[in-house]
Amino acid sequence: MFDYLTSLLGDLNIIAYFIVPVPALLFVSIFTLFAVLAERKISAYMQDRYGPNRTGKGILQTVADMAKLIQKEFISPSHADRWLFELAPFIVFASVFMGYAVIPFATVYVGTDLNLGLFYFFAITSLSVIGILIAGWASHNKYTLIGAMRSAAQIVSYEIPAVLSALTVVMFAGTLSMQSIVVAQSGGIHNWYVFGGPGDVSRILMIPFMAASCLIFFIATLAETNRTPFDIPEGESEIVAGFNLEYSGMKFAFFFFAEYSQMFAVAAVLSTLFLGGWQSPFGNLIPVLNTPLFQIFWFLLKGLLIVYVQMWLRWTLPRLRVDQLMTMCWKYLIPITLIIVLIVGFYLVIR
Amino acid sequence: MNSNEIYNLLKSFFPDAVIDYKDDKPVEPYIIVSAKEIDKICLFLRDEENLQFDYLSCLSSVDFDNDNLAAVYNLYSFVHNHKLNIKVIVPKSDPVIKTVSSVWNTANWHEREAYDLMGIIFDEHPDFRRILLPDDWEGYPLRKDYKVQEFYNGMKVPY
Amino acid sequence: MRYLNRLDSKIKQYEHGNFVVTSVDKFLNWARLSSMWQMTFGLACCAIEMMATSASHYDFDRFGIIPRPSPRHADMIIISGTVTLKMATRIKKLYDQMPEPKYIISMGSCSNCGGPYWEHGYHVLKGIDRIIPVDVYVPGCPPRPEALLEGVLKLQDKIRNQSTYKKNKA
Repeated sequence: MFDYLTSLLGDLNIIAYFIVPVPALLFVSIFTLFAVLAERKISAYMQDRYGPNRTGKGILQTVADMAKLIQKEFISPSHADRWLFELAPFIVFASVFMGYAVIPFATVYVGTDLNLGLFYFFAITSLSVIGILIAGWASHNKYTLIGAMRSAAQIVSYEIPAVLSALTVVMFAGTLSMQSIVVAQSGGIHNWYVFGGPGDVSRILMIPFMAASCLIFFIATLAETNRTPFDIPEGESEIVAGFNLEYSGMKFAFFFFAEYSQMFAVAAVLSTLFLGGWQSPFGNLIPVLNTPLFQIFWFLLKGLLIVYVQMWLRWTLPRLRVDQLMTMCWKYLIPITLIIVLIVGFYLVIR
Repeated sequence: MNSNEIYNLLKSFFPDAVIDYKDDKPVEPYIIVSAKEIDKICLFLRDEENLQFDYLSCLSSVDFDNDNLAAVYNLYSFVHNHKLNIKVIVPKSDPVIKTVSSVWNTANWHEREAYDLMGIIFDEHPDFRRILLPDDWEGYPLRKDYKVQEFYNGMKVPY
Repeated sequence: MRYLNRLDSKIKQYEHGNFVVTSVDKFLNWARLSSMWQMTFGLACCAIEMMATSASHYDFDRFGIIPRPSPRHADMIIISGTVTLKMATRIKKLYDQMPEPKYIISMGSCSNCGGPYWEHGYHVLKGIDRIIPVDVYVPGCPPRPEALLEGVLKLQDKIRNQSTYKKNKA
């Protein structure tokens, strides 16, 4: 899209810099609006009750939430570090939103098709750790500090299995650029990386390993977004609300939004890497489904499906203790991903 | 062993600390013991082979209406399957009893409750403070002559 | 969507001549009453009824009420259960930590007026309104979930009639 706009605007291509992020920002806002509502409705139907259905048939619930949060008083603890306290929510949200720059929504729309797209994504979303640590520290409260430290430990540890399982896809594709990874999966559902990627019949050997890699990527990114079963940092009954304890009103809303945006961002990356991104599962059989409109549809479908699974897991599984969390990462996930990387490497060399 | 035999055994070992034995009432028989020697007697009761009272079922406090307070110990032995009740009677002006929390650990909290609600003071207790009421409460509510305080921290207490 | 339609079809004139302000008032009130986040504060038996109200059969989430653990995120607190004097100092502290605008529902007899402990309860605070200003009292020992839901709806009515800009209405 950037190239299209530059060709259109010619000399004024500085304006293109401002127009390109707008669809992503719009999408993120609208998605978060509906994701909060969707979470409440999904959890309600799973628990055999109705979710919000009084405020304008339920749809306006998030609007009411936001409008109420705007009216709240600004409270900050008296001993808190003013500047850091105000700054933390913005760092968290900004780092998550910057990750949207490399996610390909369709052939025509990708924020910027960096050569290092995947690397950039992981690097930038790790910056949210800084925001969380700042939030926990600046609140001047020992419980928020504990929550922030746990969150930092968790996010930093789970980066490793996430990156290693993404590495298997990168080895197949030979490139870190997200758009190229999606383009390499063209031709139908049998060419998606979760089933071994494009190639000859011998790739059936790879299906269990790639599927395991997909699963591990899902688990690891679930831990990165602090979702149940890994939500020790913001566990309700554990340490009250964790690192966002002392935040009220709009700043709390920022943390809230950042969490839901990050949910979709990692779901989008998972679908890009393993499930074919905006590729239609029918491949070249039905060519009309390969136009950009349908590409966006397929992309959203896959992303939202993963988000649904994330929400489903939240309301099904109990929370992991922090030592169980760390054990799972370092003792189970990392050895498994290392072995998978080795096996995939061997396969690629032999092929 | 029933309570009479236990009383005779105790009396032979602690002639001046064990005061009396009452069994003519409709309640279970009990032994009255002096306040200052209660911990030695309880240690003996727990460790002696024929007795082996290893379980303090309950420690309660009583306010007789005549200026006396009492602490009641209900003991039970899992080994021999017999029970014993011990009472310690102290005057209200000097309600000091030796603690038995060195003998049975459950006495720790039971004695804190007896202090909190009745005002019996236990010597050498490892953690002597109120357990149920707030720490700055005045008075001991379960005494018969207790009057509710008017204000607590600025809040009006009576209805 | 009714509220959004009303925003641009309101042409009522007031003495101030400022009809837009009144509709914003209604919108803000609507926002506040549709998403009251409650601070979970169950003390005694009434807490069980409050949990029953949040559960499947009588649902709290329909009205937009979700339980939040921290007083800083909450704008409503339902005091359910016996308030002892020891707890009352903590409740005052928590109430002070909640950001404005905040609302209190006193649920059950014990927090309304001391309940069954009014005569001989030396340790019970006879009614939570001795320390914090209560908006809605829900009677019962414990009140049935439907009674608590009616209390919440009464609170919503109270918020609906609140006025931020016109100071002559309470």
